[in-house]
Amino acid sequence: MAPRETRFKCLHCGHEYTGTYDPDNVTERTCPKCRSNSVRRLPDVKPTEKK
Amino acid sequence: MMDVGRHPRIELMTFSEVESVTGYVGNFQVTVRKKARYVDASECTACAECSKVCPVAVPDEYQQGFSSRKAIYLPFPQAVPSAYILNMENCLGNNPIACGKCAEVCEKKCINYDDQDELVKIEVGVIITATGMQVYDPTEYDEYGYTRYENVITSMEFERLICAGGPTEGHFIRPSDRRAPQTIGFIQCVGSRSRDGRGNPYCSNICCMNTVKDTLLLCDHYPGIEAKVFYMDIRAFGKGFEDLYMRSKEEGVRYIRGIPGEVIENPDTRNLTLTVENTTTGRLEKHELEMIVLSQGVIPRQDGDSIRKLLTLSTTSDGFIMESHPKLKPVDAPTRGIYLAGCVESPKDVKDSVTQASAAAARASILLNAGKTKVEAITSQIDTDKCNYCGICAKVCPYNAILAPDRKAEKAPIIIQAACAGCGACAAECPQDAITMRHFTDEQMMAQIEAILEVEPHKHLLTFACNWCSYAGGDDAGTARLQYPTTCRLIRTMCSGRVDEKFVWHAFRLGAPIVLVSGCHFSDCHYISAVRWTQKRMDRMWNKLDKLGIRPERLRLEWISAAEGQKFAKVMREIEDAVKAVTTEEIEFTMKVLAEEEAKNKAKKEKRKAKAAAEVTA
Amino acid sequence: MANELTKPEELRIGVFVCECGLNIAGTIDCAAVSEYARTLDDVAVVVQNKYTCADPGQNEIKKAIREHNLNRVVVASCTPKIHEPTFRECVADAGLNPYLFEMVNIREQCSWVHQNEKEKATEKAKDLIRSGVARARVLEAQTEAVVPITKAALVVGGGIAGIQAALDLADGGHQVYLVEKEPTIGGIMAALDKTYPTMDCSI
Ligand code: SF4
Ligand SMILES: [Zn+2]
Repeated sequence: MAPRETRFKCLHCGHEYTGTYDPDNVTERTCPKCRSNSVRRLPDVKPTEKK
Repeated sequence: MMDVGRHPRIELMTFSEVESVTGYVGNFQVTVRKKARYVDASECTACAECSKVCPVAVPDEYQQGFSSRKAIYLPFPQAVPSAYILNMENCLGNNPIACGKCAEVCEKKCINYDDQDELVKIEVGVIITATGMQVYDPTEYDEYGYTRYENVITSMEFERLICAGGPTEGHFIRPSDRRAPQTIGFIQCVGSRSRDGRGNPYCSNICCMNTVKDTLLLCDHYPGIEAKVFYMDIRAFGKGFEDLYMRSKEEGVRYIRGIPGEVIENPDTRNLTLTVENTTTGRLEKHELEMIVLSQGVIPRQDGDSIRKLLTLSTTSDGFIMESHPKLKPVDAPTRGIYLAGCVESPKDVKDSVTQASAAAARASILLNAGKTKVEAITSQIDTDKCNYCGICAKVCPYNAILAPDRKAEKAPIIIQAACAGCGACAAECPQDAITMRHFTDEQMMAQIEAILEVEPHKHLLTFACNWCSYAGGDDAGTARLQYPTTCRLIRTMCSGRVDEKFVWHAFRLGAPIVLVSGCHFSDCHYISAVRWTQKRMDRMWNKLDKLGIRPERLRLEWISAAEGQKFAKVMREIEDAVKAVTTEEIEFTMKVLAEEEAKNKAKKEKRKAKAAAEVTA
Repeated sequence: MANELTKPEELRIGVFVCECGLNIAGTIDCAAVSEYARTLDDVAVVVQNKYTCADPGQNEIKKAIREHNLNRVVVASCTPKIHEPTFRECVADAGLNPYLFEMVNIREQCSWVHQNEKEKATEKAKDLIRSGVARARVLEAQTEAVVPITKAALVVGGGIAGIQAALDLADGGHQVYLVEKEPTIGGIMAALDKTYPTMDCSI
């Protein structure tokens, strides 16, 4: 699977941001605002929901 | 140096790099890449005929660029092995038709333009890491004008200028007019003990004494030379160091306490004017000097990351390699069978490097002499009855310790015990719970979780910490006496990759307000890449929590290294509010939802089992 | 699993609470913790020591194993990163499988980091011991594999440290591979003119 743009959310401070996610090469995440590593990759928006 | 080249039991592999390391204590398989040298080192007699005819001249790295060398050259006269090397990047277009002069004159015919890298496999029982350090490049200290003024040099450049084997044959001259300077200044702590973001915060250990040495050399060679040293503190703590420092002062070297603010060159004389606040007198002073030496600090090797990863070593916050214990095991790496020697561990001088190297050799000899050793019984084992041949474990294992199963042949995966390092990622990922981690079994982990949450679960922060990093980080916080709230209850695993989803669900089901998973930073992972599985699993669990209507915020993740006691304490302090914010209703709701989930899953499993049983009978 | 067969019928756990001088006892009420440990199921004996890792402390463990016929040992003291090997050896000396030993960290991760909250730290120590005892109940004996050691060493880096280590090992009779990235050994030291404190040449 190719790397793709995705939304991330920091579960510590609530900050949300966009970044890339490569399922074949998972990398360390750090919240750009509070430096916490509790950064959740928000589920991809399903195409059906987009419509 | 010569002894190494001659020693019957040392196989010297220069111009070579370690390409891969597999195995474990006592049994490492190492692949070394012998880079193409284009000169047969065993045949070369260093007659120098080749470099005489070579038409290419490039700056000589060894002489810090003060002189030039040819494309085919001897790194320096005493080089070991005493053999020439051809730098293909410098060679005329890598094309013998274009030049080829050196091969023509080489009597022994040891030049081969088609030479290729060679991969050599070796087997060793122990590894000593002595990859050294690098000196700090002072370019970013622009106020000293290193890039702008020719007569501002670094201490490494000083070494070449004062050396009898150097480009000036030991005549100490300043670069702008090749005249012996009458006045010279040394600026200490360039790139060390810095708090402004440039350079490094630590003390580089050697630069004070190096400057003391430099001033003594100058006073010796050039009596009457006026030398001034600008410093923060002079650290002359070693045996005999204070004597040298005093001698330097007696020779008339002036030590002025204060780090200069700027250096300006007079374009006519090329002399330098340095402005400094003398912190002893409190006065602003200006000094005119003919030459300035920047006493550059020591930094970790910038190309050291690959070997560090190959040996799964971590670094302390200063970037140097972390030892097993700062006081009791200073030359052991945390991984058994690997030892540290010299500046790779921290900046140090020659004597300390030699001392540490001998210590590392002695430590390594213990294992080598014993001839055998015990390995911890914490490897994984598979219950073939439970296995349904999905093959996930084989994919998960960072060590390729699991031979993939064959579904058709109903052949379960095989775990190679000797190769398993015991991270437990496979056990956590196995959907059938078919894998048991010895000494870290599901049963043992669950028992700990239950016991912790038996009393007032809602008040406590259940934390999983990996042995090598976060647990050690917690210890580091303790050693530093950093205070943090008492909420945390910690469970140790070898790797965060061991933290099974069901541990987390169980904790929430028993009323845990927050669960924290902590592990090594990705670059420090003690199990190559097992930590990636932790991250993936966390995403999966966060999504599931969301689906179940439980706030994902209640499951936390932090990467804490063994040197990050500060971070450990900070995380504990910061998470405190989150623990308190979880309400009783929320916890009750969670417990209910998860109890239902469990019941559902159980029913599903029973059904599947019944179906399978039916199939078998049918 | 074969291990299940070795599980003894009746659990007899010994808990050893270490004061570590004042390192632990200065913050944690060790007597209260010991008292609490006695109330836990399957705990046959609780011993409080000044320094459990010292010889007298270790002898107490060995003695208790014999006298109380213990089949599990829990030591609540410092970090396992320092003394787990010590205590594993100690219990093995007394005939207990070292994997039936469990360590609880009430120093680095309790007394030292909660110095101003003595009561809460004591409660935490109790919780941690309860968890250690729970784990001890389900510990299983293990046999460690003995692996041979290839009698050769790799030294990565041919600077002064690598050279010294290689020579020492080789002189000690071992085969050494010295790998250096550059075309010659010598490292940074080879580029130095004179070195302190002897002020002589470096090569
Ligand atoms: S525990 Fe880790 S190293 Fe061992 S087999 Fe499983 S994944 Fe591989
Ligand atoms: Zn954040």
